[in-house]
Amino acid sequence: MFSYNLKLAVKSIKDRPSLTVLMVAAIAVGLGLFMTVITMAHQSENIPLSYKSENLYLIQLDNREVDAEDVPIQARMIDMTYQDSSNLMALNTAAKEQTYTFTTNGILNVEDENIQPLRSRLTVTTQGFFSMFDTPFLYGQAWSKQEDKNGDAVIVLSKETNEYLFGGINSVGKQMRIDTRVLTVIGVMDNWYLTRKFYNRSYRQGNPDQAYIPSSFAFKSNLPRMAGFDCWSTTKNSREFGNVRLDELLNSECAWLTFWAEIEGKSKLEEYKSSVNQYIENQKSFGRFPRAKEKMNDYFTNINEQLTFVNSRNSTMGFLKTVAYMFFAVCLLNAVSILLAKFMRRTKEVSLRRALGAKKSAIMFQHLLEVVIIGLMGGAVGVVLSYFGLQGMMSIRLYASDYMLKAKDLIPYYHLDWQMISLAFLVAIFSTILVALYPIWRICNVSPASQLKAQ
Amino acid sequence: MLKMENVSKIYRTDLIETHALRKVDLHIKQGEFVSVTGPSGSGKTTFLNLAGLLETFEEGDYFLDGQNVKGLNDNQLSQLRNEKIGFIFQSFNLIPDLPLFDNVDVPLRYRGFNRKERKERIEHALEIVGLSSRIQHLPTQLSGGQQQRVAIARAIAGEPKFLLADEPTGNLDSLMAQQVLELLENINAKGTTIVMVTHDDKLAKRAHRNIQIFDGQVSDLAKDSSDILIKTA
Repeated sequence: MFSYNLKLAVKSIKDRPSLTVLMVAAIAVGLGLFMTVITMAHQSENIPLSYKSENLYLIQLDNREVDAEDVPIQARMIDMTYQDSSNLMALNTAAKEQTYTFTTNGILNVEDENIQPLRSRLTVTTQGFFSMFDTPFLYGQAWSKQEDKNGDAVIVLSKETNEYLFGGINSVGKQMRIDTRVLTVIGVMDNWYLTRKFYNRSYRQGNPDQAYIPSSFAFKSNLPRMAGFDCWSTTKNSREFGNVRLDELLNSECAWLTFWAEIEGKSKLEEYKSSVNQYIENQKSFGRFPRAKEKMNDYFTNINEQLTFVNSRNSTMGFLKTVAYMFFAVCLLNAVSILLAKFMRRTKEVSLRRALGAKKSAIMFQHLLEVVIIGLMGGAVGVVLSYFGLQGMMSIRLYASDYMLKAKDLIPYYHLDWQMISLAFLVAIFSTILVALYPIWRICNVSPASQLKAQ
Repeated sequence: MLKMENVSKIYRTDLIETHALRKVDLHIKQGEFVSVTGPSGSGKTTFLNLAGLLETFEEGDYFLDGQNVKGLNDNQLSQLRNEKIGFIFQSFNLIPDLPLFDNVDVPLRYRGFNRKERKERIEHALEIVGLSSRIQHLPTQLSGGQQQRVAIARAIAGEPKFLLADEPTGNLDSLMAQQVLELLENINAKGTTIVMVTHDDKLAKRAHRNIQIFDGQVSDLAKDSSDILIKTA
């Protein structure tokens, strides 16, 4: 009976092509917009490193002055001082790995005079960064702990930077310069798409770093520090710390480093917190951490918690989702009318089949099959429309950024992966079946006797 | 074969109650050819719909081939229609975009016959009605009489116990009507019970027995007095 019903369904679809096209269009247009927005939301709200995101913690210690205001929201809390960052890294804690980051800039150039120097943004960090965040490598690897300690002049390039400076070859071992300082390429990263750039707390999309260098080297070379310095009121001219007064900065109470710890499991987290609290108590004896313990706004938040907060603040996406849902609902309501028109045209044939012995379930199955086929067709067209929708949204994003962002960096956020394509088809089929329920019920309950009498 | 005892059918709206059939008692034996006549609005169509299990009734009992159909659910009624009853309509009711083969195939599909058996039955039925050479033609390529013969083929393909014919010659000229009636007589001669609604008195007289319905009441004019079963409310 399945093949018979399939044959009837296909015949019905071909029977009045205009109604079929209208139906497919209604589903496809609504689905196209819906999937465009949902894909954008999915790609931007996806938690990076989801398989370990609940183990990656941003650590924020409240070393502020006594009269500093309460900070009830983690996102508004300041970063960490260098003193505390380096002390925690030296401590024996329950963390599997720890690291900190800040951003610097410089002009990258190579020996080949045909390659124009590249003004770049670099992340300054420690060796643990790469293993904690599972950065993918194309060539070479991260620097070692010893190289970190020594402040060796090594650099890890992004894939794009390596392509620009070295033509994409395996440049491990090659030398290059940041301004006047010579460094050796130790590794080249593969494409590393993060839905949100969480490690520097910018949570931006499509803004990858061009290279990574050890913090010890950056301090040794006094590379510029692109950071906000949250200092005590007694610290004067803190903005100068971006370029000068490094020693003062490193010994100050200015918070400017983003500190991360990889801690596996709740019990290890409690152990880590206990170590940190002990450390704070110890530091209090040196006059640091002047705030009372109960008034300190220390935060240990993992990526999940941070991004849940960030995503909840994305009112634009929330608005777009609402519009997409409503538009899809309107399209589906239209589809109900079209289906009713399509099915009720066939009341006489259905009545005849019922008179000849077809059960209601057979009629229902035949029409459901037709509806599923229409849903698949609508899904296919909807996927195509959502592809173009995403391209359009990406173009708008590029335009809005004054073309500061690059298309290739944004592609991952406007990309229909197989998960989203599958979702599109599921939504298409499910919604088409949903809108068909009433028309199918109507046609199954038409009295055969009323339709079969001669006109 | 078909036995109605005290069957009544009432159509109710908010304001009006219409007694389409009133306490009908009727017994049609296996192999009979019965004509049903009566003026418009007398209840012939209602009788036909009840007999064909296309409508339910409020009172009484209806035994079809020994089985009481009262209380059967929709699926059971559908199955019974498929197995026991063949329908022939005044306007043929063929599916216009299906060839004759597929039209005759419709009731057989819902019976669950396999492909081979369906093919045999369809070819045999179309041979009986003399249209086996037109098996892939569409209904629109046939005359009215030929279309009605296809409808008859569809009705008999499943070897039902009885045929219900609603004005089978109503849309045909006299020559074609004659041909169709002869076909029905041949089918009846092989043992199939036929109940035929008609306005045509000449056709009605060709049947073994005539039942008249007037104002929802049945009077049975048996040709053979021993078969008389007259009961009016």
